[in-house]
Amino acid sequence: MSSISMEASASNEYIPVDSDFRLKDNAEEISIDTNFAAQSFWKDVFVRFVHKKSAVFGFFMILLITVMAIVGPGMNAYTYSGQDLTQKNLAPRIPVLENLGIFDGTEKMSTTSGTKVKNGYEENGLDDVYYWFGSDIYGRDIWTRTWSGARVSLIIAVAAAIIDMLIGMSYGLISGYFGGKTDMIMQRILEISNGIPRLVIVTLLLLILAPGMLTIIFALMLTEWIGMSRIARAEMLKLKEQEFVLASRTLGAGSFFIIFREVLPNIIGPIITQVMFSIPTAIFTEAFLSFVGLGIPVPQCSLGSLISDGFNSLTTHPYQIVPPLVVMALLMLSFNLVADGLREALDPKMKEM
Amino acid sequence: MKKYTLKRILTSFLTLLAILLILFLLMQLMPGSPFNDEKLSSDQRELLYAKYGLDQPVIVQFFRYAANMLRGDLGVSYNISKNTPISQLIQTRLPISIGIGGAAVTIGAVLGLLLGLLAALKHDTIWDSLATIISVIGVSVPSYVFALALSYYFGFKLRWFPMLFSTKTLYSSSVLPSISLSMFTMASIARFTRSEMLEVLGSDYMLLAESKGISGSALIFRHALRNALIPIITVLAPLIVDLMTGSLVVEKIFAIPGVGSLLVNAIQSNDYNVVIALSFIYSALYIGIMLVVDILYGIIDPRIRLAKEE
Repeated sequence: MSSISMEASASNEYIPVDSDFRLKDNAEEISIDTNFAAQSFWKDVFVRFVHKKSAVFGFFMILLITVMAIVGPGMNAYTYSGQDLTQKNLAPRIPVLENLGIFDGTEKMSTTSGTKVKNGYEENGLDDVYYWFGSDIYGRDIWTRTWSGARVSLIIAVAAAIIDMLIGMSYGLISGYFGGKTDMIMQRILEISNGIPRLVIVTLLLLILAPGMLTIIFALMLTEWIGMSRIARAEMLKLKEQEFVLASRTLGAGSFFIIFREVLPNIIGPIITQVMFSIPTAIFTEAFLSFVGLGIPVPQCSLGSLISDGFNSLTTHPYQIVPPLVVMALLMLSFNLVADGLREALDPKMKEM
Repeated sequence: MKKYTLKRILTSFLTLLAILLILFLLMQLMPGSPFNDEKLSSDQRELLYAKYGLDQPVIVQFFRYAANMLRGDLGVSYNISKNTPISQLIQTRLPISIGIGGAAVTIGAVLGLLLGLLAALKHDTIWDSLATIISVIGVSVPSYVFALALSYYFGFKLRWFPMLFSTKTLYSSSVLPSISLSMFTMASIARFTRSEMLEVLGSDYMLLAESKGISGSALIFRHALRNALIPIITVLAPLIVDLMTGSLVVEKIFAIPGVGSLLVNAIQSNDYNVVIALSFIYSALYIGIMLVVDILYGIIDPRIRLAKEE
């Protein structure tokens, strides 16, 4: 029963007593019952998001990898470009754990006369040297390189996703708001640019520009805004006929005020979801570019270039490819899980995918 | 419908022209000319320019270029295999790539359908969660991670299948690349089948069919699955994109002599002509498939047809 009808009936003859009011403090009941509407929108979203275990797992995984990408490279004395050719191709060796028989710097080598166990540390008299994830073909520390690679990949992906968001969102909102001829022309341009495979755009662009972080971000910027602009346009078409837009216009607001100050705050949910979906795409595209040799120039590294390096020694030193491969797979999986969770939390009515 | 189809064909054609224009401009921007030889006198050079039409205005050159590309004359390779026509390079490679891609789609579609059906029919059980986990991993993790893992374990460690592709052992050496490429297809079809089936299973006409006494496989396959599968065409577009990008890396990993590895080689050896020709082929394939998909979708589902005509 709502409080208004209570008051109305109270003024006539019924005077409510204390026992008419019951405090609801059962958390489980609150999250599903009629008091639901009293919660603010974002609190609501938060509750639904937290209820989805996979999304929470993804969130903490992203957090962990981000923290490691920031502090990981500084956790030992090695640098991402420091080479020591006397200490190349050493298997992972971690203090304490080495006493348990794992991560003790031994690796199995396949030779023509069968497999044999080899310990590069003992053979070279490196008793106090520890490479937690092993060292690569130039004697660089894979731990440091994995995390600084994760840092580069994350910076590229997040920067590209944010730029895409700004471009795509503005394009879609303007196209949807003005409608008519503007919309027609803008949508035709979009259709044509959508018809070109992203792979082709990125490849061609990197042929004429020098490879590097900025070029990759630029290439991603050119390809990923289309999805975002579609969503922004669809949301705009839904919202622009609503009363609050009319009210704002009656009060004298101009087009750009309505687009960016009235409509935009109302569609921030789907936009954030789309950003979360475009980050893994960007990570993947960067890794793909590095794999075909159009990535970050050496000695800098990204997850993609590390995987590409590790591929060359896949059969001889398989431990070299594992850390970057696992970090990239986890990162992409986690962003997808969080995006899925967000999408459901923001729009519970939506069809489950 | 006719109007929509015509419009769609026109847009596709314009897109193709736009791509040709971009490719042509790129060629113009590349430094140097084919006749950079110091020994040529300016008279000889002019003769050569006239012979190859390079003295014509840029617009004429563009249309001649576009016509040649559309006719299948893609130019010659400079670095990979000197002076070989690119169309000849592609001829042997295209069937291999299409074969592997086709196998991947088939495996992915069959497994995906089964997985999706299982998840929907056993909704909210351990099977459902398992299928969901598999499909989330399949959608999120790129195909070359699978390719690397499979090639290491099944190719190198267990030696069940060859690590590298070879035409002598065509079938057994296609297994690993096809499976790694099929993961994304499988996962997205499984996800899709599950959500569509759940919706169809809850619909009134299923209740009607059930109350008429239909049960078991006839109910599932004839009434539910048929309707659930109509919109599957919508997932084809991301699948094609994924197959194209995936094939590049997967072909490189398994040393498959396909179009993807040719493009990677061309990029790495700066063979611009080949890169540009292959970009054109990829674009044309993509545009063609999207056109067919869009038109088919309209024919199959009348609701879409009506919506598009408005």
